[in-house]
Amino acid sequence: MDVDLKKLLKNMAKIVGKENAFTDKPTSLAYAKDAMPWDVEAHNIPHAVVRPASSQEVSGVLRYANEKRIPVHTHGSGTSLVGLGRPKTNCIVLDMGRMKGLEVFPERGYFEVGPGFHIAKLRKALSPYHALLPAFPGSELVATIGGVVSVNTSAHAVDATLCKPGDYVLGMEVVMPTGEILQTGTESTRKPAGIEATKFLVGSEGLFCIITKIRMRLIPLPCFENIVAYYHRTEDILDTVMAMYKQGIATPMFFEYLDEKSSKVGFEAVGLKAPPGAVAMMSIDSSTQVGCEEKAKRFLEFLKIGNPIEAKIVKDKEEWAQIWSSRAEAGNYIYRLGSTFGSEITVRVDKLKEAFHEAQDIILNLESYQGNEFYSFGHIGAPTIHAYAFVPTKDIPNDVKIAIATEVREKTEALNVKYGGCGGEWGLTAQRASFLKKKYGDAYYEFLVHLKKTMDPNNILNRGNLEGWL
Amino acid sequence: MSESENVKQTLLGEVARCRGCRFCVDVCPTYQASEGVESMSAYGRVQIIKYLLTGILEFDDSLTYSLYSCLQCRRCEVICKSKGQDLDICKIFQMGRSLLSQNLVQGSRHEKI
Repeated sequence: MDVDLKKLLKNMAKIVGKENAFTDKPTSLAYAKDAMPWDVEAHNIPHAVVRPASSQEVSGVLRYANEKRIPVHTHGSGTSLVGLGRPKTNCIVLDMGRMKGLEVFPERGYFEVGPGFHIAKLRKALSPYHALLPAFPGSELVATIGGVVSVNTSAHAVDATLCKPGDYVLGMEVVMPTGEILQTGTESTRKPAGIEATKFLVGSEGLFCIITKIRMRLIPLPCFENIVAYYHRTEDILDTVMAMYKQGIATPMFFEYLDEKSSKVGFEAVGLKAPPGAVAMMSIDSSTQVGCEEKAKRFLEFLKIGNPIEAKIVKDKEEWAQIWSSRAEAGNYIYRLGSTFGSEITVRVDKLKEAFHEAQDIILNLESYQGNEFYSFGHIGAPTIHAYAFVPTKDIPNDVKIAIATEVREKTEALNVKYGGCGGEWGLTAQRASFLKKKYGDAYYEFLVHLKKTMDPNNILNRGNLEGWL
Repeated sequence: MSESENVKQTLLGEVARCRGCRFCVDVCPTYQASEGVESMSAYGRVQIIKYLLTGILEFDDSLTYSLYSCLQCRRCEVICKSKGQDLDICKIFQMGRSLLSQNLVQGSRHEKI
């Protein structure tokens, strides 16, 4: 599609102001690349980048794009690990970074926030209200609340304890691809029952609408007690998680693990002595400190089922901060030494151990690359296993990068199909269209396509994600 | 291999170490001053240098503006190191600028330099 860039720039500048509309190639390229390991190609480069400041400006951009049939790609912070952040076709990139207003209404029990507000800053802004923000992405320094709600991911948190961020969204302001501005939900803390738009627009991955304001419940901040447990083998941790659900034990809010190799990298990264094997970290929550301590004691007793080398409650805040950050830093530091290709395996709990062994086998026997290593870590209480192929070099041709990433993704997603899972934090479109068909069948996929056509008749929003384009 | 080719290869190797995590975006003072334009962040500049080296980008004024607006404050390097990558980001920019310098003296806007 030929687009007159000068004309586009002029028209976009009329809507968002000339200082917030760009068609120069350096700016377009900065928004084209994401965390996907392979390079951008010509079809990924946006025609323009625009930075609206209001719903009215978003509406203006969408009306124009819809009329001219120019695709629009939403940009939060571009930290998606499955390529949601990369445009799949030449488009207008809608950078939501300027829409970061925040109003907290403790007397109403909620806050309203613009989609561009960064998670870490939002957590800090809510702390005077003793409120818990129910989203914990590893990228929270840069990830936005708009991205979190669009994907409906709580990331590190255990769903069985905290649910998803969407469960706390009371209402939203959204702009439809045709330009209409809709208000959804309620200003009461009582969420609507029955058919109501909020619940099917949350988690719609930017395919149905652009979120311009999010109204979210203020959740009272609980007390926490933290536990670290050291094991000989990762399998002991998997046994523990399987027993936790089978026995109906109250799940911690956080239950992370590092396998035998990842724990060494993670602990050394934060200046701790390498542990003897795999490590599990848990945060137990309760509304009172007394309740918390009692729950933690009981959980510590339960942990004996997995025969840990040592399991203890960590009272010292600095010690816990180091142990906890070892989990986050493991992924970063493994990458330092080469290239990594990840997956998210979220199978039925009773199949966790089988899935882990099969994932290990898949990663260590790749057809697209020989000589790679296997690392794993993740939110095992959720349950999520991030199984990673580590290639000990950064010097890999682009086509090989794509081949490894595709093989890892498709084969680990087959485990999700085989054992009843479907992923739980990275979203389900972008590179996952083929997975959706395998998991749910063609009729289900067509149902999604029909939904998309209903909301977005000219398919301008995030075009290519549902189609499975790279 | 010529000196300039050596510089290019060194730079490509350095830039390939970038994970694309974008943690360096928000800490960049010029990104903040531009109210959040990513080509004015450390991450954006790394991408710009990469595409300059691979020939996808050619010299133009907006590119020069992005690269020369870096204050060399090294806040990006602090966060990069804390996240395990430890790229020498400011050195990458200096080398990128030196590659551009031949174009700069020829460019009409910079003839007086």
